[in-house]
Amino acid sequence: MFTKSTHLLAVSLLSLGLLAGCGTVPGDSPESGQAGAGAGEDGRALGRSDGSSAYLNRAGGGANDPSGRGGAGGELEHRVYFDLNSAIIDARAADVLAQNARWLGKRNVTVEGHCDERGTREYNLALGQKRADAAKQYLISQGIDASRIKTVSYGKERPLVNGHNEAAWGKNRRAELVP
Amino acid sequence: MNSSVFHPLFIALRAALFVGLILVPWHARAGLQIDISKGGQQPIPIAIPKFLDTNPDGSTNPSTAMGNRIADVVAADLERSGLFQVLDRNGFLQDPAALWKEGPRFELWRKNGAEAVVSGAVTVNGGQVHADFFLHDVYRGAPVGQGQRFAAPQPEWHLVAHRIADEIYARLTGESGYFASRIVFVAEKGDKKWLSIMDQDGLNRKDLTEGRSLVLTPRFSPNGESLFFVSYVSGEPRIYRWDLYTGKKYQEGDYPGLNSAPSWSPDGTRMAMTLNMDGNAEIYVKDLRAGSLSRLTHNPGIDTSPSWSPDGRRIVFNSDRGGSPQIYTMNADGSNQTRITFEGNYNAAPTWSPRGDLIAFVKGGGGSFGISVINPQGNQERALTSSWMDESPAWAPNGRVIAFTREGQGRKSKLYTIDLTGQNERIVPMDPEIQASDPSWSPLIR
Repeated sequence: MFTKSTHLLAVSLLSLGLLAGCGTVPGDSPESGQAGAGAGEDGRALGRSDGSSAYLNRAGGGANDPSGRGGAGGELEHRVYFDLNSAIIDARAADVLAQNARWLGKRNVTVEGHCDERGTREYNLALGQKRADAAKQYLISQGIDASRIKTVSYGKERPLVNGHNEAAWGKNRRAELVP
Repeated sequence: MNSSVFHPLFIALRAALFVGLILVPWHARAGLQIDISKGGQQPIPIAIPKFLDTNPDGSTNPSTAMGNRIADVVAADLERSGLFQVLDRNGFLQDPAALWKEGPRFELWRKNGAEAVVSGAVTVNGGQVHADFFLHDVYRGAPVGQGQRFAAPQPEWHLVAHRIADEIYARLTGESGYFASRIVFVAEKGDKKWLSIMDQDGLNRKDLTEGRSLVLTPRFSPNGESLFFVSYVSGEPRIYRWDLYTGKKYQEGDYPGLNSAPSWSPDGTRMAMTLNMDGNAEIYVKDLRAGSLSRLTHNPGIDTSPSWSPDGRRIVFNSDRGGSPQIYTMNADGSNQTRITFEGNYNAAPTWSPRGDLIAFVKGGGGSFGISVINPQGNQERALTSSWMDESPAWAPNGRVIAFTREGQGRKSKLYTIDLTGQNERIVPMDPEIQASDPSWSPLIR
């Protein structure tokens, strides 16, 4: 258990490293790099979201896995998915959130809610918030103190993948846990 | 040939100008008229020759190109409305100097195929542009309304032209125009989004923010002098107010969770918005002077996208309380919440027309999203547009034209306009490198 947690912590720190604006992340722009470098609180928050997407996009594709933990026995996914226009935590999402809750312990976490590109901006902002809130409630049910969980909705503004089909939309309807 | 009707007015105008009067507008009457409520009409052929460039003493001044520029902008406005066919200036049989000084020779304009002709003169003097114009009904051989002068500081000469176009539109349709107005929108390039503002014809674009933080949904105040918008500058979506003429920005509250969908009441004293602080997206109204907050909706569904009726008594909004996103109306105190859309399972982003007679909204289904309108009682729903993704309808100040965002499948998002007949869809000219979304249309610039 101890080794697993430290391992996961390492993964998470690595991902944070990427988030800080490493130039090799696909899609990392001068804007987000600049923001990470010194634009203060605001820029960091946005840069983090972009970087997070870029890193997690690669996760699971073993060849690009920067941790080289190929056979380590499964990684912790920080993301759960939703059905169209739904904010219901299904069994798989519940499982993922329960694992995250065990791993989070006393850490603070931001839950980002996201939507696919279909639908209006304002409805999707509300739907993304509902997804983040649903994930938050589940984390609370698993013993995480509500005060440690912040939620933010990006609506359809920050897709994980850029496709314009059902496969892409399914990946974009999500809540992400950003430690 | 009754061009003598013209001369007294012409003389009267010159006299009026001499004593510095600005003549009042005159509205449409029998004769040349356009019914803008009907679709499929033939556009009216109109001749808009260059305005004669004149010196303050009235003599011709060939050294300025302002006369051509003014005529070009007037022509482009009227042409884009879909109600006018602007005739090619090269084929005109009467030259602008003779037209201005002697009045129209209607038989020549008939030969040109014009049903209306505009004669005008423009003077640039002391940093001011002023333009005088007459509108003539070619078949009646008579002026439509009186001569009128518009003036503005020279850098704002576009405004002079837009006001003339508005006046022509008003005289021939009987309704106020929408050309002297601006559109604020979200511009996008790469992963930057920023606020940008331009004239309604896409010219004079100015960027308002730099794109360091995500910004969404700018909304003009009823007087056109302030904006509400949503920014993530703090890391979370928060509503800000920006007073455009002082440059001052204020955060309008910092409530836990989502703060979105700001909407000005028509008198500018209240803001409707969506807040999530009670655990679910609900609509609230904030009194902007007292700062007090009241909650209008109470249900476990999403309630968002509030928009006020022009009398301030009602609010239209989007709710999925019935299982799918639909359009509802309520009184401004939250009472009498009534569903008004029943066709289809995605109806969202409602916005009440400034005339009060219609609500525009986004209708999704069958793999496409389009702009539709419905009356506030929930009757006479009509689709105006449809594409991969049309959204964010925004009314022109006269309630006859709607600007919206169109995004093709994997293509750049652009602003378009459509009129209520659904037959005059136009892209708003824009730098091709820039994507555009979330338009808000200003009131007429006075």
